[in-house]
Amino acid sequence: MDIREQYDAIAQCNKCGFCQTACPIFRSTGNEAGVARGRLALMRAIIENRVNWSKEMEEPLFNCLGCGACTTHCNGGIQTADLIMKGRAVYLEQVGRKPIHKLLFDHLLPYPERLHKAARFAAFGKNSGMSKVAKALGLLKVLGRDFSKAEDLVEKLPTKPFRGTIKPGEYPGTGESLRIGYFVGCGVDIIQQDAGKETMKILQKIGKSVTVLNNCCCGLPPWTYGDAEAAAKLASKNLDIFSSGSFDVIVTDCSSCASFIKKYPKIFEKDVTKQAKAKALSPLFKDMVEFLSEHGYPAPIREEPVIVTYHDPCHAVRGQGIAKEPREILKSIPGIEFREMPEANWCCGGAGSYAMTHYDLSMQVLDRKMKNVASTGANFLVTSCPACMIQLSHGVRKHGLDITVCHISELVAGAKAMNAGIKMKKSA
Amino acid sequence: MVSENFIRELESIVGASHVAISSTGIELYSYDASLIKSNPAVVVFPGDTQEVAQVVKAANREGVAYVARGFGTNLSGGTISVTEGLVICMSRFNKILGIYPEDRYAVVQPGKTNLEVQEAVGKHNCFYAPDPASQKVSTLGGNVGENSGGPLCLKYGVTSNHILGMEMVTSDGEVVRVGGPVLDSIPGYDLRGLMVGSEGGLGIITELTLRILPKTETVITMLAIYDDIPSAANSVSRIIAAGIVPNTLEMMDATVIEAVESNKPCGYPRDAAAVLIIEVEGMKTGLKEQADQIQEICMATGCREVRVAGSEAERASLWAGRKGAFGAMAQLAPNYLVNDACVPRTNLPEALEEVAAIADKYHFRCGNVFHAGDGNLHPLLLFDSRNEDDLKRVHKAGWDIMEACVRLGGTITGEHGVGREKQEGMHLVFSGDDLNTQTRLKSAFDPNNKLNPDKVIPLSEPKGQPLPPTPPRTLKRPGGASASGVAEAMAEIKAASASGGSVIPVGAELLETYGNICDASAKPVKSLAMTDVIDYDHENQVITVGSGMSIDDLQALVAEHNQWLPIRPPFFKDGSTMGALAATAVSGPERMYYGAPRDFLMGLQYIDSEGKVISTGGKVVKNVAGYDMTRLLCGSNGTLGMITEGTWRIATKPELCTMTSGTGDLASCSKAAVALMTANLFPVYIAAVPVEGDNWRLTTGFEGLTDVVRHQTDLTSALLAKNGLTDIADKDYDLLTGPFKEYFQGLDQKAYVIKAGAITTKIPELFNGLKMALNGSQPEWFLDFGCGRIYVAVDTLDQQTYDAVCKKIASVGGHIRVDKAPEAFKRSNDVYGTLPRPEWKLMHAIKKALDPKGVFAPGRMQGKI
Ligand SMILES: Cc1cc2nc3c(=O)[nH]c(=O)nc-3n(C[C@H](O)[C@H](O)[C@H](O)COP(=O)(O)OP(=O)(O)OC[C@H]3O[C@@H](n4cnc5c(N)ncnc54)[C@H](O)[C@@H]3O)c2cc1C
Repeated sequence: MDIREQYDAIAQCNKCGFCQTACPIFRSTGNEAGVARGRLALMRAIIENRVNWSKEMEEPLFNCLGCGACTTHCNGGIQTADLIMKGRAVYLEQVGRKPIHKLLFDHLLPYPERLHKAARFAAFGKNSGMSKVAKALGLLKVLGRDFSKAEDLVEKLPTKPFRGTIKPGEYPGTGESLRIGYFVGCGVDIIQQDAGKETMKILQKIGKSVTVLNNCCCGLPPWTYGDAEAAAKLASKNLDIFSSGSFDVIVTDCSSCASFIKKYPKIFEKDVTKQAKAKALSPLFKDMVEFLSEHGYPAPIREEPVIVTYHDPCHAVRGQGIAKEPREILKSIPGIEFREMPEANWCCGGAGSYAMTHYDLSMQVLDRKMKNVASTGANFLVTSCPACMIQLSHGVRKHGLDITVCHISELVAGAKAMNAGIKMKKSA
Repeated sequence: MVSENFIRELESIVGASHVAISSTGIELYSYDASLIKSNPAVVVFPGDTQEVAQVVKAANREGVAYVARGFGTNLSGGTISVTEGLVICMSRFNKILGIYPEDRYAVVQPGKTNLEVQEAVGKHNCFYAPDPASQKVSTLGGNVGENSGGPLCLKYGVTSNHILGMEMVTSDGEVVRVGGPVLDSIPGYDLRGLMVGSEGGLGIITELTLRILPKTETVITMLAIYDDIPSAANSVSRIIAAGIVPNTLEMMDATVIEAVESNKPCGYPRDAAAVLIIEVEGMKTGLKEQADQIQEICMATGCREVRVAGSEAERASLWAGRKGAFGAMAQLAPNYLVNDACVPRTNLPEALEEVAAIADKYHFRCGNVFHAGDGNLHPLLLFDSRNEDDLKRVHKAGWDIMEACVRLGGTITGEHGVGREKQEGMHLVFSGDDLNTQTRLKSAFDPNNKLNPDKVIPLSEPKGQPLPPTPPRTLKRPGGASASGVAEAMAEIKAASASGGSVIPVGAELLETYGNICDASAKPVKSLAMTDVIDYDHENQVITVGSGMSIDDLQALVAEHNQWLPIRPPFFKDGSTMGALAATAVSGPERMYYGAPRDFLMGLQYIDSEGKVISTGGKVVKNVAGYDMTRLLCGSNGTLGMITEGTWRIATKPELCTMTSGTGDLASCSKAAVALMTANLFPVYIAAVPVEGDNWRLTTGFEGLTDVVRHQTDLTSALLAKNGLTDIADKDYDLLTGPFKEYFQGLDQKAYVIKAGAITTKIPELFNGLKMALNGSQPEWFLDFGCGRIYVAVDTLDQQTYDAVCKKIASVGGHIRVDKAPEAFKRSNDVYGTLPRPEWKLMHAIKKALDPKGVFAPGRMQGKI
């Protein structure tokens, strides 16, 4: 790949600086290296031969969260996050990629079973220093960027993957006609299994049948890392799985997976057949939040009122334009007082594949998020992306907040059960 | 290049992670939002004031120049290191340090963005008036650096009208405070005024004290749609001429509408030739009527349709389009060059025609989005910076536009600054002498030329030499040496200067002389012959008059057009001159609402210590061409030059003036005053004078449209009663005389008048302290809560008492000037207090730079210089 191909798009930046408005990284560092204008300027400088490809480009290219907030504030609508991914790809070609990425992208992500085993292995083995596998897994954001550091994460790591309990295959539902495919993202499969169980319950209530797919990783981690090839491999594996059954709709409860799978046609820009297949299948795909808002959901009964706030995952709000829906769902549940937090659509800092190297930066972004969360006085912090959940849970612990982080499925399906043990907060 | 040692030293000061020297780091700080580009040698991100000071000292030792940077969104190359030096990025200075609605100020660090400050003060039901379209991404430091304006500035003025004080690091690495939270600046040169718009050339700001105001009750936003541009421009002139002061009058033309609508549609009609966003705000009462009146004017001047925003969402959408307009140009072309020349409002139609012709000539597509009410154009020339030829032509076109606007009586930049980009353009508006004076001023702050060097003032050949004394290339400045009385004064001053003598500029000689006693040998030079009305442009509400004209004559003259100069200087006599007003910068209690002479003077001319006429500013309301010499001279009290003429902004007379008064003890009055400071009302002044017993009579007034005034006096009566005041009564009064003239005359009967400044909430404490100190001397008082001043008049003042008074004032963070005292007292005392202040050093440096031989009023300054 040649970054010159992107010259027109890059030169569209007139350096007005409006991207600085809501870039979580820039707002933490105050450094041009961490904002769209700067990243674009550097890619332009490379094209215009003022700067060379070197390790110095790593930071500006790889500390981008890919959250897309810059594009929202860019009056020229420049898709910087996409350009960054392309820049990363060239960087990997020119400067080289690290073996741990190879390990993760080529040998773990395509195989759900292996991935889960590796996670457990890494978790238990972590006391003896960080293994290579642990390092590689650290790049996978669903484990949280602090994977290698977080004690409690390890304790919570379930012994079996989600699909070890609820095996891939078709399950009957109580609905009339809808045949649902359930795409299990790595986050739910390995860690956020409670969310998965609740999603499953809801799907079974709505669908005539629910098929738990034997999918692999959606491909987003290698894609954001700039490894388009690895991403394409994973995507085509998944496309085969989608087309192996006949579904009216395929649902996932991970907004990151959902937004990326919807983008599949873009991945295969150079492969017409695969692209056609992706184009045909991707309309079937729904984020759980969309699905809930389109199909209705079983009305839960809440005994004690609680205060709920919502964090917009980047891949929901900017990736798929989902913002109204989750709020409407939450507000419609009796007994829930919904309180909007400031900057709800700001990234939580959990994104990106630079988990290990940008720990401090990510924590600064998270601290800002937590301040906003705390200002609402909520009992529940709801979201729709397992990766965000990990990061937010870490934030809640770190800041000693008395707030439960949960997936929207959990609040919708398990609303009643979750009342137990919740102390009411005084209204803020 | 900088040395390895220097880098290590920087790392040891700010930490290695806060120093950037990599090729990428350098590239990232080689640009700002302008078209200027140049690599710095190194970038640092200091975390606190001490680090800035140490960095500056280290840079001085290394001999490298440095430039402060906020978020790098300026449009003039202001943050580019043109000498391959050090960029000091202030982005880590991002805290809000305090918000004090009762005293109407907030303290913030300069790296905070304008919008973040707005949001923070908004929570206290206040707002900070300057609102540049870039407010989401421009820092307060940058706003101060450029003296930024925004849509709201039509009504409230630009950044320099809202900066009260700052902490800064000077070029020698010292930390100095300038100004403070009190509305009146520390007596002496207007340093805070000088710092605003100094483009990083006079010091590095590390903390800012801003003036904030209570939010207004309501706002009406309208979109006026036009089929041709001249009609829109015509509406703008007519609205202002009708005496309405909208918050904003923003214009966008068809090209900009297209860009905005294809980016994020916000409801501008795509087939219109121009739209105006017009907004009025204020009390609910009477606002609808104002909006209706505006609509009528628009419709009578060829408007197609006026739409009124029906909800907050609609309003936000109208503004989103305007505020995103520059960036939206990216929809049409990769780059734009934005020019920000100003013209007198009434010349807008011609200016826009010229702009269109120039764009045509150079084959550029051009869009216009601008502050029409201020006459501040923003033509955006669209091009692609990858095309060398485009780049060359676009700069030429930009130059031609500047020249055309100056020819129409305007200036080269209204708010974006000169920086590197418009440096040569300074020749269009200033003479070589004017520019050399500005260079001297800079050298007072920065003798080694290390602070953002080689910007603003055109470079000379060979470097470092004064520029040749050529007149401005384009701007015609009537008056000057040819105005009556000026040549004679020039001759006298020249003679004094040549013979090593000194002079004191004087007007009608009716006033007590402010300041310390002058050297007895200084010869008075009179301004009384300078009575020309040099230019009265009543449509644009601007007048230029000679210094010898009396204030009364000026008021009588402009009254013919139902206009007035909204200043009622206390202690001024019938016959006191405009020159004296400019030189002393005195304002009455109405300052809290209208402003002071510094806020009305747009430009002036003065005779400098070599007998040459020097010009400052111009005749457009927004003007950031060069250092703010106008504000420096205003209030310089005859110590820097003799002001020969001033250009003043005037206003339409209010319909009605009514005051509401109530009686109570000091605590109740002070409580009521604070309530008025924070209420959604527009009091013109809030002041109290003693009445029987220990009681005070608190008076506040309202001036404006009849309905609005009446409504406010009603609310005020209730407010005073609620705070326990009695005998509440309303009274109408004459606009020009004002409510306190007689009272001030009473104070003036005493031998001494002391003026003390302190924030509103400290007034009671200061009063009690002063009362104790002045025990037994039967003082008379005037408590100006609104501006934060106490006037106290006594017949005797001994040394010990004076010391105690000064100490007391210092203890509440205030400042002092003895406005009137017998000669004997002045001989042995400094009227600026017994405690020297750190900013005096800067004032003395300015004096030395601009009047090196001490020609003007020697001995008069603080410290008796
Ligand atoms: C799209 C767009 C719209 C704009 N709209 C407006 C508008 O409506 N009105 C307007 O006036 N401007 C406007 N601007 C220009 C720009 O945003 C302003 O000049 C703004 O004030 C710059 O702020 P900054 O933080 O980016 O400062 P910078 O660009 O970083 O610095 C500006 C100047 O201030 C100096 N400076 C910065 N910080 C300090 C400090 N701490 N101490 C001393 N000096 C310092 C710098 O040296 C430099 O000379 C616009 C710009 C863009 C790109």
